[in-house]
Amino acid sequence: MSDERRHYVAGSFGIPQFESEISSALAEDTILADDLLRQLMSVGEVDLLVGIISHGDAITDRHAFHAIEQSFQEHFTRERAVIINVGGGDNHEGDASGAAHGDLAEKNMLFARSLRTVHRVSADFSAPPSAGLALRTILTAADLLRARACAMVSPGTTNLTPDRIASLLNPVFRERFDFVAPLYTRHKFQGLLARNLLYPMSRAIFCRGIRELYSDEWGFSGRLASACLSQDVWHEESIKTRPEAWMAISAISSDFRCCQAFLGPKLQSATGPATDIVEVFRHTVGNLFWCMESRQSTWLDCKRSESVKTLGPEQELTSEPADLDRHRIFEMFRNGVAELEPILSSILDPETHAEIKDIVALEESAFRFGPDLWVRTLYDFAASHHHAVINRDHLVQALIPLYRGMTFSFLMEHSDSSAAEMEVVNESLCVEFERRRPYLIEKWKAKMEVKS
Amino acid sequence: MRQTILQGLEQAYSNLVRMIADFIPRFLVMLIVIVLGLLVAFALKYILRIVLNLTKLDRVSEEAGASRILRIAHFTSMTALLSRSIFWLTWFGFILIGLSVLGVAGLQEQISRLFQFLPEVFVGILILFLGLLTANFLSRTALLAAVNAGHRSAKVFSWSIRFLVWILTISMTLEELGVARQTVISAFSIIFGALMFGLAIAFGLGGQDLARQLLERYLGNTKKAKDNEPQPL
Repeated sequence: MSDERRHYVAGSFGIPQFESEISSALAEDTILADDLLRQLMSVGEVDLLVGIISHGDAITDRHAFHAIEQSFQEHFTRERAVIINVGGGDNHEGDASGAAHGDLAEKNMLFARSLRTVHRVSADFSAPPSAGLALRTILTAADLLRARACAMVSPGTTNLTPDRIASLLNPVFRERFDFVAPLYTRHKFQGLLARNLLYPMSRAIFCRGIRELYSDEWGFSGRLASACLSQDVWHEESIKTRPEAWMAISAISSDFRCCQAFLGPKLQSATGPATDIVEVFRHTVGNLFWCMESRQSTWLDCKRSESVKTLGPEQELTSEPADLDRHRIFEMFRNGVAELEPILSSILDPETHAEIKDIVALEESAFRFGPDLWVRTLYDFAASHHHAVINRDHLVQALIPLYRGMTFSFLMEHSDSSAAEMEVVNESLCVEFERRRPYLIEKWKAKMEVKS
Repeated sequence: MRQTILQGLEQAYSNLVRMIADFIPRFLVMLIVIVLGLLVAFALKYILRIVLNLTKLDRVSEEAGASRILRIAHFTSMTALLSRSIFWLTWFGFILIGLSVLGVAGLQEQISRLFQFLPEVFVGILILFLGLLTANFLSRTALLAAVNAGHRSAKVFSWSIRFLVWILTISMTLEELGVARQTVISAFSIIFGALMFGLAIAFGLGGQDLARQLLERYLGNTKKAKDNEPQPL
C-alpha cells in the first residue's frame, strides 16, 4: 500500500498519523479488498461491530440484519456501530439489499429512535470464503475501525434475537471482558462431545474452562481481535475450517478476561456445520489437539484451573424423550475396537488398550466406560497426536469408536438422571482430567519410541 | 624332440610367470579399490545417518505409516534402511569397479551391463516402496471410514484396496525391470478386468437391492438416513 494512500486513510479515520501505527493498522494488504477498505474508511471509528458470515440465504440474512439493528437500537442507542457481512458466491447479496427494501415502515420506525447511523459493510468474495478467511476479514476490520466490542453471530440461528446479541456485546462493552462464550439450554443428551471431551479436557489443559468452545456466536474485544490477528496461524487448515475454538483457546490460555453468557435455547442451525461425525471430530478434536501442539509453551507450566465467570444462569438441561438407538451405538463401539485393534495398539498405552478390550467383552447392561479409563484414553491419543505415531487425521478418526463407547455408557448411566446429578458427574470428570494431567505431561514429554 | 618339449615348458612357465606378474598388481589394485570402497561406504552411511536424524525422517516415516511396513521387513527405522542401502550400493559399485580392473575377458561386458541396469533396479525398488506405502495408507483410510460408518465388513474393504494397490505396484515394478513385459501387462489386464467384471456382476445382479439403495442415496435427492446418535455438539 502506498504512503499516500496510508495518509489518506489515516486522515479519514481522524487518528494520529504515527507511521508505525498506521502501518500496523493497514498491514493486511492482501486481506482487505479496495472496495471493502473504501467502505470501512467511510465508516470511521466505531464502538460496536457485529460480524456475520452469510451462507447465501437471503431470508436468514435479512432476519439476522434485522435482529442486529434492533439490538443496536434497543441496547446501544448512543454508540457508533457497524455490521460486517462476509460472504461470496452467486447467492450472496452483498449488503442484503433485500433487507433494505423489506420492512420499510418498520425500519423507519427503528431509525426514528436512532442517534447514530448503523453502518453496513459488505465483504464480497468471488466464492464463499472459508470460516478462517471470513473471521480474519472481520478481525481486520475490527482492528482497523478500532471497535471496542465485537460479536460474531450466525444468520442460520433461527432464534437470533436483539437480546441475544446484546448478551454477547454487553459484557465486553460495559464490563471490559475480552471474550464472551455462549451458554445454552440444551437437551441433556445433546452436545455429548462438548460435555465429555472438549470442555473437561480443554479446562484441564488450558486451566480455564469454557463449555461451548465450538459455537457460531461469541463476543470479543478489539484487544483480543488485534492479538489474534498478529498470530501467524491463518494458513493452518484447522484455522481455515473452525477458527472459533482457537480464538477461545487463545483467550483462555493468555491473560484475557473471559466469561460465559447465557443466551437461551440452542437450536440446530439450519445452515450450520454438518453433523457427519467424522467431519465433526476432524474439526473439533483435531483442532483441539492442534491447539495443544501450537500452545504447548503456555499450558505445560499451568498448575491449577481457574473458574470463568458466568453471567446469567448456568447451562440448563432439558430431558424430553429422545429417539436414540443405544444398541447400534454399542455395536459400533464393539465392532470398531475389534477392527481397529492394530491402529489402537500403536496409539494407546498397552495397559489402557488392555482395559478397553476387557470392557468390550462385557454385556450391554453391565457395560461402563469409567472416567479414569476415558481420561487416560484421551491423553494417550493427545500424546500420540503430538508424537505423530500414525497419520494425524487417521488418529483422530480412530477415536470415534471409543467416543461411541463413552456415549453409550453415558446414555445408560444418565437415562433417569436429573440436571443436578449430571452436573455433579460432569464436575467429577473435570476433576479426573485435572488429576491425571501429570500422566499427559509425562507421555507428552517422553521421547517417541518405535513400537514393534 | 626333448629340446622342443623343454622349450615349450619354458615358454609356458615364462607365460605363467608373466601372467602372474601381470595379475598380482591388478589383484592388489582390486583389493585396494574394494577396501577403499568399504571405507567410503561406511563414511557415507555414517554421514547419511546423521543428516537423516537431523531432518527427523523417522518421525515423518512413522506418520506416513511407512515404518510399520519396515518393521515387517525387520528394519528398525527408515534411517536404518536408507543408510544401509547407501552402504551396500556404494560398496557394490566399488566391488564392480575393482573386478573390472582385473581385465577378465567377458566380465567387463557383464559389469557394464549391470551398471546400465542399476538405475532401473533403483526405480523399481522406489516404485515398490511407494506402492506399499500407498496401499497401507489407502487401506487404513478405507478401514477407518468403513468402521466409522458402521459397516460390518470393514476389513474386507480395507484388504480389497490393499490387494488392488499391491497388484498394480508389482505390475509396475516388473514392467520397469523389463521382466516378461508383455506377459505382465496381459496378466495384469486379465486379473484387473476379471476382478472388476466380477464385482460388477456381484453388485448389479447379486446385490440389486443394495445397488439401488446406494445409487438412490448418492445420486438421488433423498437425505442420508439418520443413525439416531446424539448430536455431538
